[in-house]
Amino acid sequence: MSSIIKKIGLSVLLAGVVFATNGFAQEVPLLEGVTVRAENNPTVEEGKYKKDAPWVIGMSSFGVNANTWTVQVAHEAQAAADRDKRITKFVLLDAGFDQKKQVADIEDLIAQKVDAIIVQPVTSTSANASIEKAIAAGIPVVLHTGRIESEAYTTEIQGGAEHFGKVMGDFLVKELGGKGNIWVLRGLAGHPEDANRYNGLKQSLEGTEIKIAAEEHGDWQYDKAKKVCETLYLNDPNVAGIWSSGADMTRACVDVFKQFGAAIPPISGEGNNGFFGQWIADGFKSVSSEYSPAQGAAGIRAAVALLEGKALHKHYDYNPPGWDLEKVKKYYRDDLSANVWWPSELSEEQLKEFYAKQ
Amino acid sequence: MNFSSSTFGKLLTGRGSRQGLWLLPFAIALAMALWLAVTTSQFGQWSNLANLVAQGMPLLITAVGQMFVVLVGGLDLSIGSVVSFTTAILALDLPGYVTIPGVFLFAGLIGATNGYCITRLNVHPIVATLSMQYVVLGITRVLRPVSGGTVPEGVRWLVEGSLFGLPLPILWGIATLLVAWKLLYGSRYGLHLFAIGGGVAACSDDAARNFGIPASRNILLAYVICSLFAALAGVFLAGRIVSGDPNVGLLMELDAITAVAIGGTQLSGGVGSLHGTVIGVVVLALLSNGMNLLNVTPFVQTAVKGILLMAVVALQSRKKIGL
Repeated sequence: MSSIIKKIGLSVLLAGVVFATNGFAQEVPLLEGVTVRAENNPTVEEGKYKKDAPWVIGMSSFGVNANTWTVQVAHEAQAAADRDKRITKFVLLDAGFDQKKQVADIEDLIAQKVDAIIVQPVTSTSANASIEKAIAAGIPVVLHTGRIESEAYTTEIQGGAEHFGKVMGDFLVKELGGKGNIWVLRGLAGHPEDANRYNGLKQSLEGTEIKIAAEEHGDWQYDKAKKVCETLYLNDPNVAGIWSSGADMTRACVDVFKQFGAAIPPISGEGNNGFFGQWIADGFKSVSSEYSPAQGAAGIRAAVALLEGKALHKHYDYNPPGWDLEKVKKYYRDDLSANVWWPSELSEEQLKEFYAKQ
Repeated sequence: MNFSSSTFGKLLTGRGSRQGLWLLPFAIALAMALWLAVTTSQFGQWSNLANLVAQGMPLLITAVGQMFVVLVGGLDLSIGSVVSFTTAILALDLPGYVTIPGVFLFAGLIGATNGYCITRLNVHPIVATLSMQYVVLGITRVLRPVSGGTVPEGVRWLVEGSLFGLPLPILWGIATLLVAWKLLYGSRYGLHLFAIGGGVAACSDDAARNFGIPASRNILLAYVICSLFAALAGVFLAGRIVSGDPNVGLLMELDAITAVAIGGTQLSGGVGSLHGTVIGVVVLALLSNGMNLLNVTPFVQTAVKGILLMAVVALQSRKKIGL
């Protein structure tokens, strides 16, 4: 009996320690829509990386110039660093989707003795060794917009690609009443983001009578997606809905239906100003999955919180709900180009500087 | 008297020299190193210099290999795929004594096939090696569609470890250069390469053959050597990223050609030097490391590299247009 009591007592004590440890982590506002992961989420010890300002923060981007979204991530990070006067230098390095260069970039940041490093990994494994080196050098590493197969980093903010695809899939399931034929426009073949978004769609379709009548890769590009949609339409125009993995492909497909004078079926999209303008103007049925470029700013805030000595959680998830037309109308800016992505934390001046229509 | 015909101009541009242009890139490398030492506090630190050596090593190894085929008037666009393939194989769950000899055997076969297609079937080097690039890339992606796996711990040590206080990447560099030096300058084979390349550059493919040099066999061997160096670079890179990656070698062939060209090796063949290639690699490594240390915005870095390449290569004297 006493043994049982001891075990219960020990369990209560352990549970108390676990809950208390989790409770020590301060709720640092990183980004609207970012939440603390519920399970298996250790806390970065309070004060572990505390350092007096001024700070130098480094960032290794997987590829700044890949597309308009990645460019905006860089702008958002730079703007967030500029807003915090305690950050005297922000070093942004571009790996250009080259794994070797990212390893070298992180090593260069370590050699510069930056106070914190933010990493957008090119792949799930290639930067692991250099991230481990940074941690061994006492530099906290914040990860976002890409997971790695290692626990060596300090904290991560990760938008779920499956969630992104599922938001789109759930919308189609609801609009189609759970049955009908759809086209699937995927991103770049072999890219993890493409595979994971697609997995999200498959989760939505489970148990429904929705069939994928055609599945093609548009590489997230307007031009390629337009050719794909033209071919699909000419082959068989009867489609109940379209799952598009990216906004540029959505715009292309909508343009194809308009070109043929056909009614636009329900189609998924994401937070791009060009797509928003098209959605508002043409009034078709859609949903916008959210994947804000302001994750760049969130990375800066996480790094600052660690340098302030705050206790962060190791894992943060970014799985916001989809946007409807009413919300889209609040964000859309007719005076800005199609290259701006929402939501953004850039100031009015910066938005006009980078994205004003010529 | 114009610049390029003056004695100083000849020295700088390498006109008339079998070793090609190397003094100008050497001066550029020296100026860059001095500039970085003065303007950044981190450049001269041991940790940064060790980084620089490790970062530049895959490029050095592939560029040295590429130099062999460029000297005979060819190009090898398949080396990036061989590098990726090597990392993918090393990250398989197999012992290193199986995978390491295996990748070198495979690389040798790739090089021999390239060489055979070029010398016996008269396929243009770009077409032959580009086709091979796709073949090897396809096989690699079947083996490892996305990055992952872990390379043997011994391979990681070979890249990150040190011997008697000397970082092992330096030994990789010394070994690579010694082998290449022996082949190029310490053997009849090296002399034949320059002779064959000189004939190609002068639009006389049979020139070397007429002097009894087995041109086809030597060219084929140059492609084998190039592929073997690529596999060696792959082993080094696998130790750095500690995993296999089907895309890690993408565009490495172009970086290697860039380094060779900056180092003064004429892409038309017959003219070039090992030390020039080393200087070309140093220039590119300093450029990348230096711009990172100087916090040059990513939007500008790519343009700077392009301008430097164009400026240095434009100063090379060319007697014929072509490869």
